[in-house]
Formats: sequence, C-alpha cells, structure tokens
Amino acid sequence: MTGNEGPSVVGTAERKDRIDAINFKMVTFSLSGKDYGIDIMNVKEIAKAGKFTFVPNAAPFLRGVYNLRGDIIPVIDLRVFFHLPAEKKDEDALESTLILRIGDHIFGVVVDNIDKVVGISSAAIQPPHPIFGDINIKYISGVVENQGRLYIILDVVRIFSPKEEEKPRVVAETAALSAPIVIAEPSEAYDRGSSATSELDFIKETLFALKRFGATELNDGWLNARFAEWKSMKKGSDLQLRNIDDAEQFLEGFFSPYTATFWSDEYAASVQSILPDFSSKTIQAWNPGCGKGHETFSFACVLKNRYPDVRIKIWANDNDLLSISSAPNMVFDLEDVPDYCREYMSKGKNGYGFNAAIRDAITFEYHDVLNANPFPELDLVLARDLLSFLSPSDQSRVFGDFSDKMKSRGLVILGKNEKLTDETDWKSIGNDEVSAFIRA
Amino acid sequence: MRVEYINPFVEAAFNVLKEVLNADVRRGELYLKSTTMPVLGVAALVGLAGDVEGRVLFDMSKDTALAVASAMNGEQLPSLDELGKATITELANMITAQAVTKLHDLGFKFDLTPPALFTGENMEISDHEVEALIVPMEVPQGKIEINVAIRERA
Repeated sequence: MTGNEGPSVVGTAERKDRIDAINFKMVTFSLSGKDYGIDIMNVKEIAKAGKFTFVPNAAPFLRGVYNLRGDIIPVIDLRVFFHLPAEKKDEDALESTLILRIGDHIFGVVVDNIDKVVGISSAAIQPPHPIFGDINIKYISGVVENQGRLYIILDVVRIFSPKEEEKPRVVAETAALSAPIVIAEPSEAYDRGSSATSELDFIKETLFALKRFGATELNDGWLNARFAEWKSMKKGSDLQLRNIDDAEQFLEGFFSPYTATFWSDEYAASVQSILPDFSSKTIQAWNPGCGKGHETFSFACVLKNRYPDVRIKIWANDNDLLSISSAPNMVFDLEDVPDYCREYMSKGKNGYGFNAAIRDAITFEYHDVLNANPFPELDLVLARDLLSFLSPSDQSRVFGDFSDKMKSRGLVILGKNEKLTDETDWKSIGNDEVSAFIRA
Repeated sequence: MRVEYINPFVEAAFNVLKEVLNADVRRGELYLKSTTMPVLGVAALVGLAGDVEGRVLFDMSKDTALAVASAMNGEQLPSLDELGKATITELANMITAQAVTKLHDLGFKFDLTPPALFTGENMEISDHEVEALIVPMEVPQGKIEINVAIRERA
C-alpha cells in the first residue's frame, strides 16, 4: 500500500528506479478460477493439510482446527468466507493451505490451488475497483498485473484482524469492528467522494442481484437520498448489503403507498385530483404488474368517479400466475373496503365482490410485460414500482412500449419514488404522493 | 392471456388425458413464452375464433405420439400411420372441445376450426404479437406440451 502515497513526494528519477525494484513479494493462489495474492510477510508457510477437527457452533467458513506440529490453529475456508463455489473433496483429502501469521495469531487458510511467489514493485499496485465483484472491496488492498495475469491482493490483516475471536458470532459485526483499525483517514476530499461512489455502485449491483432492482435515472433521486440516510444510519461502518434481508431493509421506503391493498380514501382522492380531462368517449388504461388486483380495483373505482359518463377499459396483467388467478373473483368484507369503492360492490354468495360494471371494465391477464404487448391505444398507464424491478435495458424497452401505445395527451403514473427525467417529452403533474407524467 | 381462459384448458387437458390413457397424468408448471419456438415433432393445431382469436397447439415427440395413439387404440401401432394420425387429431379435438365447453359455461363464446396435424423434423412456430401459455403434461408415454395462444379481439 505504501506505493500509493509515494508519487507526490518522490522525484521522477527516484520514482523510475522504484518501479523497476522488486520490493513486494506475494504468495499467489486461486479461488474459483481467479488469481489472488497475499503479502509474503504475512505467510508463515504453505502446507497440504487435512482432517481438520470440526468445531461445533462456529461460523460456516471455519473449517475446524488443525494441529500444526503441536500448535492448534483455526482453519478458515476462504471460498466459503467469500461465498465462492468450492469443489467438494473427500473427508480425508488434503487441502492446499496457507499458514498465515497476523500479529501474534496463526491461522490456516484453505484455497483452491497455491501457485507461486511473485515479486513485484509496490508502485505497480493499483487501488481496487468495485468491478471485482466476487469479493467485498474492503478486503482487497489492491490489484497488480504480472506477466499477463491480474492478481487481486487480499488485505489479510483486515480479514483476520485481532478481533477475530468475535467473528464466529456475527460476521457483519466483526467486519464493522475491524474496519476502523485499518481504514486510514482519507486525507483528500477527492478520495472521500470516489469511495462513496464506489460504495453506492456496489450497493446498486447488490440490489439488482438480490432483488432485481435496476438502478437507473428513473429511481436515481431516491437512491441517492436513501444512500445518504443509510450511511448515517449505519454510522459509516459496514454499508454493504450482505443478504436479502439487508436489501429488503434498504428498499423499505421505496415502495408506493398502498401496495397490494386498497388505496385509502385520501390516496384515491389525490390520484383523482391529477387525472386530466379526456375528450374521447372511451378511456383505455393499462395496469401492468397488478398483483392480486387491489390496485386495479381501486383505480377502476377512481376512474368511474372521475369520468362517470365514459366507457372505461382497463387491461391489468401480472406474470405471477397465483396472484393474477385469484384477482377476477375476489370477495371482501365490506368494512375492509374503502368508502369510495363501496358503491361499486354487490353482495354475492361468499361475500362482497365488485359489481358487473367494474368487473366488465377490467380484463385480468396472465402476461409478461417483457413479451410482446399487444394493447390498443392507451390514455393511461398505471405502473407503480414496476419498471424499477426490471434490468436497465428492459426498463427502457418496456417504457418504450408505454410511449408507443400512448395517445398524445396520455398520462403515466409511476411509483412514488420513480421520476421521468426527460422533461421535454414528459411533464410532471404529480404531487408528493403520486408521481405522474403527462405527455407534452 | 385472460386469466379466466387458463383453468378450462388445464382442466380439460388433465381430464381427457387421464380418461383416454387410463394412467397417471402430472401437470408441470405453467409458464409464458413469446416469439418463435421449436416444435417437438408432431403438432396438432386447433384454431379458435369468436370473441377471441388464437390457436391451441398440442406438441409432442414422434415416439410419444405413437405410444399415445397405440394406448388409445388398445393395440401397438407399427408406425404413425393414418390411424395414428387420426387418433392424435382426435385427442386434440377432444381436449379443445371440452375446454371450449367449459368456457361457454362461463360466458365466453369460441368457435373451433377442425384440427390440423403437422409432422416433421426441425419445425418452428411463430406467433406475431401474442405470447403463448405453455401447459406441460407428463404422461407415461412421454411429455405433451399444450401451447395456448389467445388474444382478445381489439
């Protein structure tokens, strides 16, 4: 790491010398096909070891303990630690093991294959980039190229910091505890900015991998605000999303109000207030991603109230077969239904359902928006929190379908935290609760 | 595809196959498919008209078709001859007819075209601007894919 501080203080001539000098040696090895290195100063020896003694109740990455000529040392499987695929070996098979010495502690580390010792100049080490997605960036001290191969240098001091004893309990906590010890205060504002950007990029990637949340211009505003909030919530320590629970917690505030339930009277009124006048005798609306249909029924009642004399047709679809199958014939308790919907209910055998006027207005379809969307010309599109859960390219494709099918004064209602940035074509007419855009 | 159409087709396929083959029938997961798709080898096609436009395709491999036709006729057919082909055509007709009857009871009016049978290697089928619902059915003789593509008349 010392090489990074150099250039500003060292003269050009001296610097040139340094580039040629080999002053950093690392032991290289592979994990699931990629090359990694560890500073040789941390490596005590390498060994083929096996028959590790299992330790109950320990973290999954702890393979067990090993008797190294009388010293009992913990052995950690780096592939499990980094969630990389590991080849299953027989119980008795010997594993390639690096014996590391960090401070007073000795650890064994299981890897796929140990390669060789490579000598490089520390000036050639470059800072890590979030693109090395397999391994959390905070465990990488840098990358270096040597004879056509790219090595990722692991920061073993950070991975096996003296707080190691606490690791088996909560992985995330240990990482957070160990972080302040090694992170040097960023001295320049530039550093701070770039590391925040890469943290955010990393979160974006994780959100897509875990929750299929595609970060684009559409939700950028919310994402930046949420990231700032997240940072202050986590107090600058471990920001990354480790599992699906973290991702769900991060996305908590994203969803529009009244997802998967009826819209409240206030929300329905605020949607109704932004609906423009249409001159035609029929209004065609499309509601992709309607789920179980609560949203569609609410929307249908709002439209009926707003345009009493106009024929209304809503195409509602979802690609979840179970949800959509139950949508057309749902029955409710009257007290669960908000006031603005009640006049459209009628009593059936099993409870209250929507009357024929509403039911005829809606066609529920099992349909995937990523396939062809054969709809007639539309006045309204209601797609709350749908586009954000598509990949960026699918987002633009589906939105392209929206605008292709849309009449000239058509209205798009998106999720609360989704905004169209193209202000020349789409004018925002929404309010705090409803994000709506009319074609300019 | 309209939600109300899905169940009649699934039920009809299940009932008819169970009845004519007198064997265990298992239904696979339903899913949607768009654009061009390959045909396994023998395809019986029934067109639909009326409130909707579309078609139902019964797709299976040649071996499956021969085994199914043999089971339905109660004798081992040597090859997929006239009788075998007529049997598969009839199977397609029975399933579609039963589904359409169920739909009629629900208030949807469909007309059927007579089934057509296609056999050959490396065939593909393309639908313009409509996605197909795939109902995979596992029978002892093999796999039969029922491929329903229907859309509302705009």
